Amino acid sequence: MDVLKINGKEKEFTAGQFPATLAELLEQLGVEAATVVAEVDGDIVERENFARTRLAPGGSIELVRFVPGG
Amino acid sequence: MASIDEKLRRAVVGVAGLGGLGSNVAAALARAGVGRLIIADFDMVEAANLNRQQYFLDQVGRPKVECTVENLRRINPAVLVEAHNERLTAANVPELFAAADVVAECFDRAQEKQMIVETVLARMSPKPIVSVSGLAGYGKSNAITTRRISPRLILIGDGQSGIDTEPILTAARVGIAASHQANAIIELLVDEIKASAP
Repeated sequence: MDVLKINGKEKEFTAGQFPATLAELLEQLGVEAATVVAEVDGDIVERENFARTRLAPGGSIELVRFVPGG
Repeated sequence: MASIDEKLRRAVVGVAGLGGLGSNVAAALARAGVGRLIIADFDMVEAANLNRQQYFLDQVGRPKVECTVENLRRINPAVLVEAHNERLTAANVPELFAAADVVAECFDRAQEKQMIVETVLARMSPKPIVSVSGLAGYGKSNAITTRRISPRLILIGDGQSGIDTEPILTAARVGIAASHQANAIIELLVDEIKASAP
């Protein structure tokens, strides 16, 4: 089973469900890309590159989701 | 070795947005003796802001940057304040905050929070940013935390209480988040950021 570490927690994906890209992962998680900052293995990924950022099993991802208010 | 006061006096902080967060963060940093603040907002003070923002009834209808400059001068006239009455975008953020040692994200809308955090992290290395997500509502004081997401990103808030899901915004809870934010910035300036030349 393939694993991604998302915000410090390991998430397992069954065969065929592993997201190929960061955009696919956000879609699976139901997170709106416009309100998220993402780091993959410690590097910031700009939103315009979410769809072409490929994910590999074992990768570490930080997703910061913003809610309105300030 | 510079003293804490000296480090703060030599520091430059960018404050992006002057609403409930920014108006309070700027005041806390001015009281702490931060030497220079670069502040930006495009909005006017409205009566509805006074439930949580650091403005006064007689300032309603005037630009927030102008009123913040005025208020900061009354708190600590030694602080140099560079004020920009304009909307921040991915295009102007890098230049506007180029001189800042650290940037405070004090926006209201989630998309604008995303924009400036992404811009600072992707294009303004090694500058850190202190951002906020989740401060609406009342009570739950201890749900608001300061977390280091990565070396250059510190995140304040409870991560979930948005104005879209909570029934109220209070000076009390917004103030907790703003104080976390100002406190995290002071910690960065004193412990981590190498002071620029006096």
